[in-house]
Amino acid sequence: MSGARRIGEVVLSVQDVSLSFGGVRALQEVSFDVREHEVRAIIGPNGAGKSSMLNVLNGVYHPQKGTIRFRGQEFADMESHRAAEMGIARTFQNIALFKGMSVLDNIMAGRNLKMRTNLLLQALRIGPALREEIEHREVVERIIDFLEIQAYRKMQVGRLPYGLQKRVDLARALAMEPSVLLLDEPMAGMNLEEKQDMCRFILDVNDQFGTTIVLIEHDMGVVMDISDRVVVLDYGRKIGDGTPDEVRGNQAVIDAYLGVKH
Amino acid sequence: MRKNWPVILLGAVLLTGLVLPLATGASPPGFYIEVLLGGLMAGVLYSLVALGFALIFKASGVFNFAQGAMVLFAALAVARLAERMPLWAAMLLALAIMVVLAWLIERLVLRPLVNQEGVALLMATLGVTYFLDGFGQTVWGSDIYSIELGIAKEPVMVLEKLFQGGILVNKEDFVAAVVAAALVLGLALFFQKTATGRALRAVADDHQAAQSVGIPLNRIWVIVWSVAGLVALVAGVIWGSKLGVQFSLSQVALKALPVVILGGFTSVTGAVIGGLIIGVGEKMAEVFLSPILVKTFDLAGGGIENWFAYVLALLFLLVRPEGLFGEKHIDRV
Amino acid sequence: MAIDIGKLDTFPKLLMHHARERGGKPAIREKDLGIWQTWTWGRFADEVRALACGLAAQGLKRGEHIALVGDNRPRIYAAMCAAQCLGAIPVPLYQDAVATEMAFPIQNAQITHAVVEDQEQVDKLLEILPQCPTLKHIYYDDPRGMRHYTQPQVAAYDELIKAKVDAAVLDGEIAKGAGADPAAMFFTSGTTGAAKGVVLTHHALIDRAKAAAEMEGLGDDDVVLAYLPPAWIGQNIFSYAQPFVTGYCICCPEAAETVMTDMREIGPTYYFAPPRVLEALLTQVSIRMEDAAAIKRWLYRKFMAIANRVGGALLDGKPVSMGDRFLYFVGDVLVYGPLRNVLGMSRVRVAYTAGEAIGPDLFKFYRSLGINLKQLYGSTETSVFVCIQPDGQVKPDTVGPAVPGVELKFTPERELLIRSPGLFKEYYKNPQATSEAKDAEGWFHTGDAGYVDQDGHLKIIDRVKDVGKLADGTLFAPKYLENKLKFFPYIREAVAFGHGRDRVCAFINFDMDAVANWAEKRNMPYSGYTDLASRDEVYDLVRECIERVNADLAQEPELAHSQIHRFLILHKELDADDGELTRTRKVRRRHIAERYEPLVAALYDGSPTVHVTSQVKYEDGRTGAFSAELKVRDAKTFAPAAAKKAA
Repeated sequence: MSGARRIGEVVLSVQDVSLSFGGVRALQEVSFDVREHEVRAIIGPNGAGKSSMLNVLNGVYHPQKGTIRFRGQEFADMESHRAAEMGIARTFQNIALFKGMSVLDNIMAGRNLKMRTNLLLQALRIGPALREEIEHREVVERIIDFLEIQAYRKMQVGRLPYGLQKRVDLARALAMEPSVLLLDEPMAGMNLEEKQDMCRFILDVNDQFGTTIVLIEHDMGVVMDISDRVVVLDYGRKIGDGTPDEVRGNQAVIDAYLGVKH
Repeated sequence: MRKNWPVILLGAVLLTGLVLPLATGASPPGFYIEVLLGGLMAGVLYSLVALGFALIFKASGVFNFAQGAMVLFAALAVARLAERMPLWAAMLLALAIMVVLAWLIERLVLRPLVNQEGVALLMATLGVTYFLDGFGQTVWGSDIYSIELGIAKEPVMVLEKLFQGGILVNKEDFVAAVVAAALVLGLALFFQKTATGRALRAVADDHQAAQSVGIPLNRIWVIVWSVAGLVALVAGVIWGSKLGVQFSLSQVALKALPVVILGGFTSVTGAVIGGLIIGVGEKMAEVFLSPILVKTFDLAGGGIENWFAYVLALLFLLVRPEGLFGEKHIDRV
Repeated sequence: MAIDIGKLDTFPKLLMHHARERGGKPAIREKDLGIWQTWTWGRFADEVRALACGLAAQGLKRGEHIALVGDNRPRIYAAMCAAQCLGAIPVPLYQDAVATEMAFPIQNAQITHAVVEDQEQVDKLLEILPQCPTLKHIYYDDPRGMRHYTQPQVAAYDELIKAKVDAAVLDGEIAKGAGADPAAMFFTSGTTGAAKGVVLTHHALIDRAKAAAEMEGLGDDDVVLAYLPPAWIGQNIFSYAQPFVTGYCICCPEAAETVMTDMREIGPTYYFAPPRVLEALLTQVSIRMEDAAAIKRWLYRKFMAIANRVGGALLDGKPVSMGDRFLYFVGDVLVYGPLRNVLGMSRVRVAYTAGEAIGPDLFKFYRSLGINLKQLYGSTETSVFVCIQPDGQVKPDTVGPAVPGVELKFTPERELLIRSPGLFKEYYKNPQATSEAKDAEGWFHTGDAGYVDQDGHLKIIDRVKDVGKLADGTLFAPKYLENKLKFFPYIREAVAFGHGRDRVCAFINFDMDAVANWAEKRNMPYSGYTDLASRDEVYDLVRECIERVNADLAQEPELAHSQIHRFLILHKELDADDGELTRTRKVRRRHIAERYEPLVAALYDGSPTVHVTSQVKYEDGRTGAFSAELKVRDAKTFAPAAAKKAA
């Protein structure tokens, strides 16, 4: 199936990025690229620098060295809101949803950047703002349908089970209609069935909307099944990069990760 | 089931206190209702000020000490501007001034201090309080001014048939209550039904997550402070027309503190209900409790109105620190 | 009121009639993207006509069979009627069946075309394609995930309806149809043996649908929520046959999980639920009440006691004192009304339950709330309606008198025989089974044991083949016992053994929701069903339920010997995927007895524990081995009431 998906040009490339906190070197001269429409995984043992890498891409952390190139533009570092505006959305490992709000409101909040009318019109809910609200609602309803969370639309997010919260998190990221989606351990803490559902949704998103997906994940098995290419980090260095099969056969990776963890 | 005995007990005591005068015949029903209404009226104003507190606290985590000063400042602006233009124009202009003020506070106070300790922000709002008090006098003068709403101040006698002696109701009070209720309803609709309201709730729920979906935090703060300015304006006009616009108006902020403790710092409903409870409680205590205290303990008996609210708030801090409606996750601002 | 059928002897003719008579009235609603979308009868007819032409262009011919696989969706029902327009025979299949279960019907009926809901169903059909050479065309409704399918058999429903409509030819085809033609074929789940295709004619379905609709006064203002599998005759008759006869509107829920919400939004006036659904609803209500504030629980208890006493009588129009009427009125405002609203049953005028016996207390619960719940009796072979409890004559232990047009009689073995215009034509390509089930005089042998009481109401005891005898020759009716057990909220399934043995023993499956809630209230940590199933506390809980049943049984002279002496809690929940239940969740007793033979032996040989190993099939298709020690416990039995008197 994935063969039919057309993987395109490089959209995002990371060149020699280094990041340290005080004396701790989280990333050391890491380089890799992400191609249009692919599912790209970053894996590695705990503390390998996976989350740091994602936070660099998303503009939460600013690397001391190296550059990030996104769709031809070069950045010494990225800014969070800038990333969002350019179509990079992300989910969080520790779900950062609006726990006190309904599922619907959470996903609608994800549409915020797409709102064109100004806050005053929105506040009064008149004219173009009302029309816009309806348009956004339709987009959001399609996402709700897509992720099969119709039954929870009006429920408060904080009261949902963990697996569903993860799905709402994904829904909110999708509401931004991103061209690149960063997923931070989307399957962490899930049971087998929830993991399978999540895999299916990730592949469907990739297939249906052509969204490029960068995911970091601890669970090797899952990653190998759904990724086109995999980057392996260990102690902040890149030790492997290639198709799942190539990575599986890479001795450095086996030593650092597979040999130890599985 | 999780029973909260202290709260049940406290509720029971208060309820008995409320019913006792009527039940024992210590008060004629007509008079009792007058006291009740008077309490509710004061409560409405407490609610409005507390509402401003709760809004800002929830959305930006700042305990806004300046809320009382904002009430005074808004009332002064309306009173003085109304000398030069029709009242409605004065109010609109005053509202514009409050929005500009909100914008300035965000720019000059909040933005530089973002991610600082809560104490730093509290101190900053304390600074804003004194600045507004002083600056208000500099701009508008320091006399006592009046706001004329054009509503008859004479009390009207109603329900004469039902109660002996009827009940005295102030028409102005009635209008004020309606306006306050409309404001609260309007705010509720604004928060629940509009995209801006949704963004405000999102910010209140989780700053970081709100930023990651592209909600502009700074603009949201301006809106929240503007809304708080609007609430202050309404409170200032109502109170100012009743008692005259004077410096003591800013002291009302001190009454709002026990109200938010009672209602819960983050709850709009809590602010409203808390305000009403304190308003009524105070009046009731003053009118019905003090004679008892005088009789039993031979005390002087006055001034209950001044400490009642604080004692109640203290009791609440002991048994239910999160307040009546404050929860870990609140679905309303 | 049901319309005058006259010459409208097939479903397509009825549809065209509605399109003319009430073209602007709603026929089907579907909740899509959060909004209820309405198809009027006119729109429905247009869709059917376009689809029929599309299917004709794709080679579907008179007499051929077409499979329909999917949840309740307007397009599934449109496909059903479109096939009938062409004289083809729709065969609805269970959407939750696994691929291998679908192979038999497709082979048996030599199905050539299939209209399915989504990718999941397409995948299943593609999986069995090698075994089903006749299947040439698969059309899917939902295009999600279908972009990369290159199989020549697979095409979109959307393409199908683009076909040009040749009105004259189509009207000719519709006119060719006659009442005696087969209208649809339903595969019975079959508690034993292979599934059989039950062929029902237009005449049979229309006649029964009309008889019941007239009896209940159904009209085109009624609303039904279609939430059970369309492949089940029980759903199909309410969401296809009856709306076609009366012109009422059916509503399709958004997803299986949203049924409760959708039901509240729609407020159906006509409702059907098998006892297991009613049971699940009651369990939910009970759990919510347990979590409610003390005052609410108190109100609920008090007023439910009043409803229990007088609610049924009020519904039946029997005399009730003024005081009780007033109390019931207060209860209605405070409890029953809000409860009906939560259940989505505020507007329900007629509600049916059928499919299996319903616990008398469960039945009474709904009636006492003022919901006109009634039992009916029927099966696929009889186009459902055989007996219905008429308004005001509802007795919990019977299923009511025969619906007009139906004749009943009994064999000496107490087996019920039925003759009705609604009887099936045949079991498809199975003349032997047909002649066994339907004799030369047209009597259908139901396989149910029962009798007609003095009021003319039918009472069903059990399946004839299941009614057994204990070693001492006394009656043993396992289903009757199981139903009594299952009425406890904590017990989900029970399997009773006893035929040819000296006493009765049982397997128990507890209700995971109810027991999990119970365990949480006691701060009992657990990891899942299997863990709870091994706890002594849970055994005690189940034992209490069994002992209460035993106490009841002791009061019934004929069944006093059927008291349950020993039981065990199964380590897993009985599952249709493992063949332990039918798709309609009936226990497959014989299969279970074979599969768990050592466990049954342990029930009777007195051993305190038994070792179990079994193959477990995970949802991803992998299998694994499971082994555990199960406990076997005794339950207290009571002296029969008659014996007590004698003593």
